[in-house]
Amino acid sequence: MESASIAAGHGHAEEHHGPPEAHQSARIDRTILGILLFILSEVMLFGAFFAAYFFIRAVANDGPWPPVGIELPVMIAGINTAILVSSSFTVHYALEAIKHNNHRGLKLGLTMTWLLGATFLFIQINEYVHIGFTPRDGAFGSIFFSLTGLHGAHVFVGLLLLTFANIRAYRGHFGPDQKDHLGVEVPGIYWHFVDIMWIIVFLAVYII
Amino acid sequence: MAMAIRQPGWYRGAIGMVLGAAFGFGLVIALRAISGLELFQTEQTGYPHVIVPLITAPFGFLFGFGAFDYWFRWAAGKPTIPDDHSAHGAYRWQDYFKFNTDHKVIGIQYVVTTLCFFLIGGVLALLIRAELAQPGEQIVAANTYNGLFSTHAIVMIFLFIIPIFAGLANYVLPLMIGAPDMAFPRLNALSFWLLPIAGIVFLGSFLAPGGAFDAGWTGYAPLSTGAPLGQSFFNVGVQFAGASSIATALNFLVTIITMRAPGMNPWRMPLLVWANLSTSLLVVGATPFVAGAQFMVLFDRILGMNFFQFLEGGDVISYQHIFWFYSHPAVYIMMLPGFGIISEVISTHSRKPVFGYRLMALALIGIVVLSYSVWAHHMFVAGMFSWLRVPMMITTMLIAVPTGIKIFSWLGTLFYGKIHLYSTSMLFSLAFIITFVVGGISGVMLGMIPIDIHVSDTYFIVAHIHFVLFGGSVFTIFAGIYHWFPKMTGRMYDERLGRIHFWGTVVGTWMAFVPMHWIGMDGMPRRVADYASVYGDWNLFISVSAFLLGAVQLIFIYNMIVSWRFGPKAGNNPWRAHSIEWQVSSPPPVFNFDEIPRVVGGPYEYGTPGARHAIMGGETAPEELPEPEPATVTSPS
Repeated sequence: MESASIAAGHGHAEEHHGPPEAHQSARIDRTILGILLFILSEVMLFGAFFAAYFFIRAVANDGPWPPVGIELPVMIAGINTAILVSSSFTVHYALEAIKHNNHRGLKLGLTMTWLLGATFLFIQINEYVHIGFTPRDGAFGSIFFSLTGLHGAHVFVGLLLLTFANIRAYRGHFGPDQKDHLGVEVPGIYWHFVDIMWIIVFLAVYII
Repeated sequence: MAMAIRQPGWYRGAIGMVLGAAFGFGLVIALRAISGLELFQTEQTGYPHVIVPLITAPFGFLFGFGAFDYWFRWAAGKPTIPDDHSAHGAYRWQDYFKFNTDHKVIGIQYVVTTLCFFLIGGVLALLIRAELAQPGEQIVAANTYNGLFSTHAIVMIFLFIIPIFAGLANYVLPLMIGAPDMAFPRLNALSFWLLPIAGIVFLGSFLAPGGAFDAGWTGYAPLSTGAPLGQSFFNVGVQFAGASSIATALNFLVTIITMRAPGMNPWRMPLLVWANLSTSLLVVGATPFVAGAQFMVLFDRILGMNFFQFLEGGDVISYQHIFWFYSHPAVYIMMLPGFGIISEVISTHSRKPVFGYRLMALALIGIVVLSYSVWAHHMFVAGMFSWLRVPMMITTMLIAVPTGIKIFSWLGTLFYGKIHLYSTSMLFSLAFIITFVVGGISGVMLGMIPIDIHVSDTYFIVAHIHFVLFGGSVFTIFAGIYHWFPKMTGRMYDERLGRIHFWGTVVGTWMAFVPMHWIGMDGMPRRVADYASVYGDWNLFISVSAFLLGAVQLIFIYNMIVSWRFGPKAGNNPWRAHSIEWQVSSPPPVFNFDEIPRVVGGPYEYGTPGARHAIMGGETAPEELPEPEPATVTSPS
């Protein structure tokens, strides 16, 4: 085992032969599996809020939905959806680029994704400001702001991850081997999740 | 000193905590000043200037403590340095109080911390029993009593039973599957340190104006949405405990799936590994639901939202649905790892392969699947949709099938085995089977709608959950601690004290919890500080038994501490077990193995001469292992 002979820098020198390399018993990379499982738990967190949504809408509510006097800006949200969906393609483009060692494409894709995501968030905050009701206005206000806000928080986290990926991309840290571009692939997977989750939120809250 | 402040550790942690609290406090005050609101909102459901620092201070502490150093370095785009392993392994006792990435250190941190919470929860239980010893008010007022039983339940569930299983598995699971560590060692350390934080938040609620959270461990809305400030501590604490639990589960899943030793296919995994795989699936899938439910209550309380406000269009029952969609799987989160421990102990100490190994593994998966479909049996009297009752009753009874498979397989394993009664872990395992069957059968009774309606919110429920959680989970925890104590410490505990502890615990458990069934069926309500005087005699009996049960645990603590320090050397494999963790030294070397072992057979091939589970690095050919015959009780043959 080569790795067993790597000596580490400081501290308890006498013990330092490092751990043996773990046997890889599944084809999937550990980090990728980790982010997928994390996403599974995130899906369930959204599931809790969707459960609350449908209870409020279908069980506790017997009037029209959304309640009288509330008009959701479906058009703006639809455009926003298009923006977020297109960012999924750009992040995929970035990943494909680095797989072919195309650093320029990587930087272009990641930057575009970041800008699209930020635009989405900006438009959503703008929508909050002008929407005309607050989280305190009935259960509809609560669940509307909670679901879209929970999603917005995930966009924010996704943007943070993309920021880190951008920094590294501009410093030229990534390479075509999978282990050398996990820093693009993992935020990318998370970003796709954020994107798909928005489509579900959009359909549930704005369309149906 | 300046150096100490810059290095990750307790100094920087304390500073981080103060800064975090100051940041949260300042943020709230600043936002309220900008919005023109009064600076300090002190309605009992408010106190944002307390709740926000309660969230930011722990993050400040963790940052100072060094939990995020590596990730921050990574995020800043600095080149990642190869792991220097300087935060790995314990060389002095102080290393147990650091942000340590060694799964063995984390395992011991978990076990010791959770046992401390066990003692705290136990003291709370004894206070409850002191109050209930006689009808009328004894030592605490009714309000305080509500806080006592709520914190007792939360401490025992979120800070003892769930995490101690994570701790035991943290220690032995990577060794069992032949991995040098967990898949994400830093995340593993972070999961542990979130736990004492959750504990401090839960117990800190005693200091809040209005007292500790007192809406029960279930925190039903709308009782919880209008309760005093302590309830918000509950909401926040659950987030920390839940995050810890999810992160650990994710770590276990990735470790089990991707880091098994060569040759260890799924049907060669020890059942403890299967059990933790199933548990982790439950945690990853279900725990986010309790997080969601507590977020909603917190939003209702702090932000004035209306999730559970009927008049504003909220749905009250939805809290219970969402809560139990987590909390029913949670009872299996509290039980399945124990099933794994029992399989290990029973097989090792009856010197026989686990009967029906594959079905045992599949039964675990069956329980995982079924447990997601039974949540509403907690709500038969809640006023939910009546059409949901009968399906839930049927699925609830179905879940007895895989559980029954496990019970009968353990009995099959014992059948004609060479049963080692000298080991305390085996004694606890055998007692577990009996107590758990009683608790399980009262569970099936409770699954039946008519009986459930009759005994809802009575002591029958209390009796049931204590039979399955104390007689079930806690017995398996004791079995696991006694079983792996020699591996963790390298020393042997005192079997004589172990037996005293065992008999005291078993007798105390039965004496304390059996009469609760009877007074429960007679109608004594749970969660009430006072009761009709006809139940007085039995309650006195229960209280005396509970104090006996509590006193016996002191023997356990004494035994563990003294044996850890002065016990005789245990040797590598005192139980002559086959699984990999017993093939390394006790305690194991810092990096577990010099070379990853090769798995060549099943983990429980006892009784087959020369059978091997794994060949350790450096060995060439499997060698014949003589089977010495210690004092055993043999079954008739």
